[in-house]
Amino acid sequence: MNSETLLDRRRFLAGTAQGMSSMALASMLQAEETSQNPNAPRTGHFPGRAKNVIVVFCSGALSHVDTFDFKPELVRRHGQPLPGNEKLVSFQGPNGNLTKPLWDFKPRGQSGKMTSDLLPHIGEMSDDICFLHSLTNKSNTHGPAENVMNTGFAFDGFPSMGAWVNFALGSGNQNLPAFVALEDPRGMPQSGPNNWANGFLPAAFQGTPFSSTKPIRHLQRPEDLSSQTDKATRNALRFLDEQNLNSRFPGDEQLSARIASYQLAARMQLTVPEVANLKFEPDHVRKLYGADSTNTHKAAFAENCILARRLVERGVRFVQLFNGAYASGGRINWDGHSKLKEQYDVHGEILDQPVAGLLKDLKQRGMLQDTLVVFATEFGRMPMFQAGTFGRDHNPNGFTCWLAGAGVKPGMSYGSTDEFGFKAQEDVISPHDFHATIMHLLGLDHEELTFYHNGIERRLTDVHGKVIRDILA
Amino acid sequence: MSPATCQLRFFRNILILIFLSISVVAQSQEKLPRLLSAPVRTEAPQSAGHPIDGFIMKRLKESGLTISRTAEPSTLLRRAHFVLTGLPPRPEHVVAFEQAPNTEKLIDELLNSQHYGERWAQHWLDIIRWAETVGFETNQERKNAWHYRDWVINSLNADKPYDEFIFEQIAGDTREIDAALGFLVAGPANLPGQIGRDVEAMRQARQDELDEVIRTVSQSILGLTIGCARCHDHKFDPITERDYYAMQAIFSGLTYGDRRLRGMENDMWSDRVPEVEDRLKALRIELEKLRVQLKLNAPLSDVQTDSFEPTEATAVRMVIYETGNGKAASLYEFEAWSKDKNVALATNGAISNASSFALSNQTRHFDNLIDGSVDKRQAFPWVSAKPGQAFIEIKFAKSESVDRVVWHKGSSMPADYLIEILPPNSSTWKTVSHTLNRLPRTDDTRAPEKMMVVTPSEKNTKQITDLTAAIRKQLSELARLSAGPQTYAANFSPDLEPTLVLKRGDPMQNSGTIAPAIPVILGNLQLTEQTPEPDRRVALANDLTRDDHPLTARVIVNRIWQYHFGTGLVSTTSDFGKMGAAPTHPELLDYLAVWFVENGWSLKKLHRFIMTSQTFQQSSRPNQAAAKIDAGSRLLWRFPPRRLEAEGIRDTILAVSGKLNLETGGPGWDFFNRRGGLSDYTSKETFDGSGWRRMIYAHKIRMQAVDIFSSFDCPDGGQLTPTRTQSITPLQSLSLLNSPFANRQASFFAERVKAEAGSDVSKQIDRAFQLAYSRLPEANERVVMIELATKHGLSQVCRAILNSSEFVFIP
Repeated sequence: MNSETLLDRRRFLAGTAQGMSSMALASMLQAEETSQNPNAPRTGHFPGRAKNVIVVFCSGALSHVDTFDFKPELVRRHGQPLPGNEKLVSFQGPNGNLTKPLWDFKPRGQSGKMTSDLLPHIGEMSDDICFLHSLTNKSNTHGPAENVMNTGFAFDGFPSMGAWVNFALGSGNQNLPAFVALEDPRGMPQSGPNNWANGFLPAAFQGTPFSSTKPIRHLQRPEDLSSQTDKATRNALRFLDEQNLNSRFPGDEQLSARIASYQLAARMQLTVPEVANLKFEPDHVRKLYGADSTNTHKAAFAENCILARRLVERGVRFVQLFNGAYASGGRINWDGHSKLKEQYDVHGEILDQPVAGLLKDLKQRGMLQDTLVVFATEFGRMPMFQAGTFGRDHNPNGFTCWLAGAGVKPGMSYGSTDEFGFKAQEDVISPHDFHATIMHLLGLDHEELTFYHNGIERRLTDVHGKVIRDILA
Repeated sequence: MSPATCQLRFFRNILILIFLSISVVAQSQEKLPRLLSAPVRTEAPQSAGHPIDGFIMKRLKESGLTISRTAEPSTLLRRAHFVLTGLPPRPEHVVAFEQAPNTEKLIDELLNSQHYGERWAQHWLDIIRWAETVGFETNQERKNAWHYRDWVINSLNADKPYDEFIFEQIAGDTREIDAALGFLVAGPANLPGQIGRDVEAMRQARQDELDEVIRTVSQSILGLTIGCARCHDHKFDPITERDYYAMQAIFSGLTYGDRRLRGMENDMWSDRVPEVEDRLKALRIELEKLRVQLKLNAPLSDVQTDSFEPTEATAVRMVIYETGNGKAASLYEFEAWSKDKNVALATNGAISNASSFALSNQTRHFDNLIDGSVDKRQAFPWVSAKPGQAFIEIKFAKSESVDRVVWHKGSSMPADYLIEILPPNSSTWKTVSHTLNRLPRTDDTRAPEKMMVVTPSEKNTKQITDLTAAIRKQLSELARLSAGPQTYAANFSPDLEPTLVLKRGDPMQNSGTIAPAIPVILGNLQLTEQTPEPDRRVALANDLTRDDHPLTARVIVNRIWQYHFGTGLVSTTSDFGKMGAAPTHPELLDYLAVWFVENGWSLKKLHRFIMTSQTFQQSSRPNQAAAKIDAGSRLLWRFPPRRLEAEGIRDTILAVSGKLNLETGGPGWDFFNRRGGLSDYTSKETFDGSGWRRMIYAHKIRMQAVDIFSSFDCPDGGQLTPTRTQSITPLQSLSLLNSPFANRQASFFAERVKAEAGSDVSKQIDRAFQLAYSRLPEANERVVMIELATKHGLSQVCRAILNSSEFVFIP
C-alpha cells in the first residue's frame, strides 16, 4: 500500500472534470456490491497500527488533579492562594485557594504510577496506559469544548472524528453501522449529536446512536407484520426498483445503490440484535466489567463497555462510549463546580471498573494490539476550589487524557502541567495534536484527509496538529 | 486488482452516488479576477431557438454530444412539480397535461402556487443554515424566529425582486421590514450565560457572533468565503485580514435577539396602549387610597432601606418568613450603616452566617451578602437551600451605632420579614424593622391568608390582593402591547464601538481600529469610522444590489440553476473564489446574470426562462455513448435525475396518503415530544394534525437529527449548506420500511386508494400507481402488486411504493 491511496480521490475528481467516463466504468463494476457501499473497507495512507478505535469520553470535564495528575506541591500548599493568580476569575467567577486532591494518590502497577483512589481499577491498568498530562483546549465552555475534542472545531456542524475515520477507512463489517455512539445510560452528552455528526460529510458517515439501553431506531419490522408479509413486501419492492432501473435508467448507479442499501438493511436487522444481545456473555466477563453490579447506572455503563468490545470484535471501526450526561450542576456528569467530592464518588464508581474491565478484556483477547482506546474529556478543573464552594471551576489550560493499545507506548506518562496542575507546561498538546496522533495510529495522514466545503479543503485538524511521535511504540 | 485500484473504484463510485453535485472541484487561476468584473453581455449562439439551449448545445457539440429528445409529458409534469413545489402532481393534473401539454401554462400555475415559496424558501434557509435554536449545549429556543421563515416564503411567492430581497435582509429596518433581519442572525450564537466570565472568553464570544454574520452575508450573497480571512489573509482569494475586520465594522452595532415587528398588528397594539395605561393608573390610585385608609407603609423597594434610631449593636439579623413568589429566600447584599460606614462589610471585619445556602452549580453562599459587590456579572447572591423561612446574621467587628440597614433583593423578593439587632453585652435581640404594617408589593403573588400584613379585617387584605392582581394583569398586558409583536432578528445599537483588527483573530491582540468597508477588491463604499448606523449597512446593501455588481446576480442565477439541474454551472455555489469550481458554461452564466438583472431581478421569470428550454425539458434517460463522454451529465446531454431531499420525501408521502395539512405560516410544529435544551430530545413516533404540515413548517432545532429524515442528508443548521450531499444508506431503508410514521402513512394511502378506486384490486393498483408515480402500472407490475395486495393487503403495496426509488426521485 502506498501513501497515495487517498489522493486517488482527487485524481478522480480531476478526471471527472475532464470528462472521464466514470459512469461507463462504473457500470462494469456493478456486480461488486461493496463498491456501492460507503462502509466498504479502505486502506489508509500508510499501514496503521490501529484498526479500530474506542473513545471513552467523560462529559462535563473530569478533574485531572483528583484522578491521574499527582501534584505533591498542591498537597503541600493546600489552603494557600495560587501564586501569581491569587484573584483569578475563571468561567464561573472568582476562585478561592488551592485545594489538595479529594482522594489519596497511591503508586499503582509495575510502573508505580501515582493515581487516585477515585478510580483505582483504572489506576491498576497504568502499565497498559499512556497518560497525556498536558492537553489544552481553546474553549472553557462545555459545548464548544466538547465540539473541539470530538470534531476539532469549537463551532457546531463540523464532522466528528468518527465520521472522518468512517469516511477514510470504511468498516470491517458490512452488516453493522461503521460508527457507533453509545450514550451514557443517564442521558446525552452536552454537545449531543454534534459529537457524532457527519457535519458536511455525507450522512452515510454519521454515527449511529444506540446502547445497551437504547436500540437502533426502526431496526425491526413493525410488530403487527409477520415475517412472511414483510418478506413479500420487500420482494415486491425489489421488483419495482429493478424494473425502474432496467427499463428506465439502465446502468444508473444511484438506483442500484438504493437496491443494495435495502439488502444491507436486511442483513443489519439480523446482525445488530445478535451483537447487542449480551446474554451470550459469560458471567465471569460480566463480572469483570461490573455488569453484575446492583448499581443500575454502573451495570448499564458496564454493558455499554461490553457492547463496545463486541462491536469492535466484529469489525466496527469507531465506537464512542460516553460517560456523563447533559448539564446538571454536576449531578449526572463530571461538572463538579460545587460539591465535587460527593458527586465524583457517585460518578467514579460508574466509570472505574467498567473501563478497567474493558481494557483487561481487550488485552486478554489480544484485541488491544489493533484497538486503540482513547480516554478523553473536554477540559480539566482548577487546582483551587471556587470561592464559596466545594468544587472546582473549568480549566482548559492543562488536563489529562490517555491512550492505550494499538501502537501506543504502554506504561508511559507524557507531558506535564505546572507544580499545581494549573497550566500545561512541558510538551503541551493541543486537541489537534491529539487528533493527528489518533489519525496517525490508524494509518492516516491528518493533513491529507480532507473534504472540500465552502471554499476550503477541510480537515479534522483545521490547519494545525502535530503527531506526538514520542508516544508511538 | 491492486488496492490502489480498489480505492479508486470506491471513490469514483461513492462520488457518483453521494457527492453528485459537488463532485467537480477543478481550479482555475484566472477565474476569480474575471468573475470580479461585471457580467459580460454575451450573444446566445444562434443554433437554437431558446438562448439557453444555444449555449448548452454549442458546448455539447464541441464534446461530440447532443441534447436528448423531449421527456414524456408525465415525466415533465412530475419534474416541474417536484422542482417548483416539492410535491407530486395529482392524477387529474396528469390526465389534463397529457391531453394538452401546455408547458408554459403549467409553469405559471406552479409558480403561482403557495407551494412554490414553501419549496424554494427551504433552499434559501439551507444556504444560511437558519434554525430556531441558538445551538451549542443549551440550544435554547428562538421562539419568534419563524417570522423570518414566513417572510422568505411570502417574498418568494410575491416574486419580490431579488435586489429588494437582499436589501431588506441587510437593512430592512430602514423600510420597517423587521422580519427580514432574521437573515443576519440565522446562525448559532452562544447565550451570554454560557460564556465564561473572563475577559478573553467574553470578547471571543462577541467575535464569534459577528463571524457568523460575516459568513452568512458573504457566502450566501457574494459566494465568497470572506470568513476565511479572520485569522490571516485569505489563502486563495484576494481578501485580506483587514478586509475581514472592515466587513465586521459594517455590523459592529449588531446584537442577536427579539425586535419589534412593525406593521399592521404592531400599530393595532400600539393604539391600545393608552387605554391600558389609564386603567393601570386608576387601579394604582385606588390601591394608594386603600393604603392610606389602612395606614400602611409604602411597599418595599428592590433595594430597601430601613432606618431607625441610632442603636449600639454588635450584630444584625434578618428573618425572612416568606418571599413574594414562594421561591427560596435570596439577597444579593446586606448592609448595615453607621452614618456613612457600612459596618456589615467583610472588609470591615464583619462575618456573615445564614440558616442555609443552596449549592447548585454556582456559588450561593452567605459570604456573598457582605462582599461589597452587587455587580451581577462578577458577584453572586446568597440563596437559601429551600423555600420557606430563612435567616441571615451578620456579626460586626465591634459594637457600632447602627442607624439603618439596606438590602438588595436577590433571585427572590422578601415579602414578610423581621430585622433585629443585638445590643452589646446582651443576648436579647431587639426588633428595628418589620413588614407587619407594610403594603404588599404588586408582584407579591401570595394568597391573602398567607400574608402577615396587619389590617383591620381579612376583607381588607383581600381587597389589596384583588387590586394587586388586577394591576399585575394590566402590567403584563401593557408590557406586551408596548413591546409590540416580536420577531427574532438582528438588533442595532446606535452606539458603535470601534472595530479592531485582531492579530491572528486573537481577541486579546489588536493592531488598531478600522473603518467599515467591503473587501478592497470589490470596491469602496466611502465609509469612515464615524459613519453611523444604519448608514453602514445601507451602503453595503446598495452596493450588493447595484445592477453591475460582479457577483450578486451571478451567484443567485447559479444557485437557481443548481436547484433545477442538481448542480450549478459553478458547482461550488457558495464559493466563486479560487478554491471553487470553474464554471462549465461561463458565457451562459454571464448571459443569465445579465438577463436576470434586465428582467427586474425576477426569480419567477428566471424559472420560467430556464424551464421553457429544451435543456430542462429533455428526457433523463441514460445513453451509453453519451455516458462514456460525460458520465455526470454535467454538460446536460440529458436532464440529470436525482433523489428528492428529505423534506420532499416527507411532504410527498403525506400528499400521496391524502393526509398533507396545507396550513401555511406561523409557529412551527414539533418533531419531538420533549424539547431538550440541556437534556435529551425524544422523537415523536406518530404525528397528526399539525405534524402533517409541510416540513418547512417544522420547528427547526439546530444540531438535532430528526427521526427518519436526517439520514436523507437533511442539514442540521450547524454549517452553511449551499449544496446537499446525497447519501444512500441502510438506515434510510430501515426508517422508510419500519418507522411508525411510514407504516401509518402506507395504511392511510391504502385507505385513500380504496375510497377512490372501489373494491376491485386491479383498479386499486392502478390508482395507487397514478397517485404515487403519475402513471399506470406496466402489465408485469400489476400482476406482482395484485398478488401482494391479495395475500398481504393493499397497505403492503403502498408500503412498497413509498419505499421505491421511483417514488423518491425527480425524474
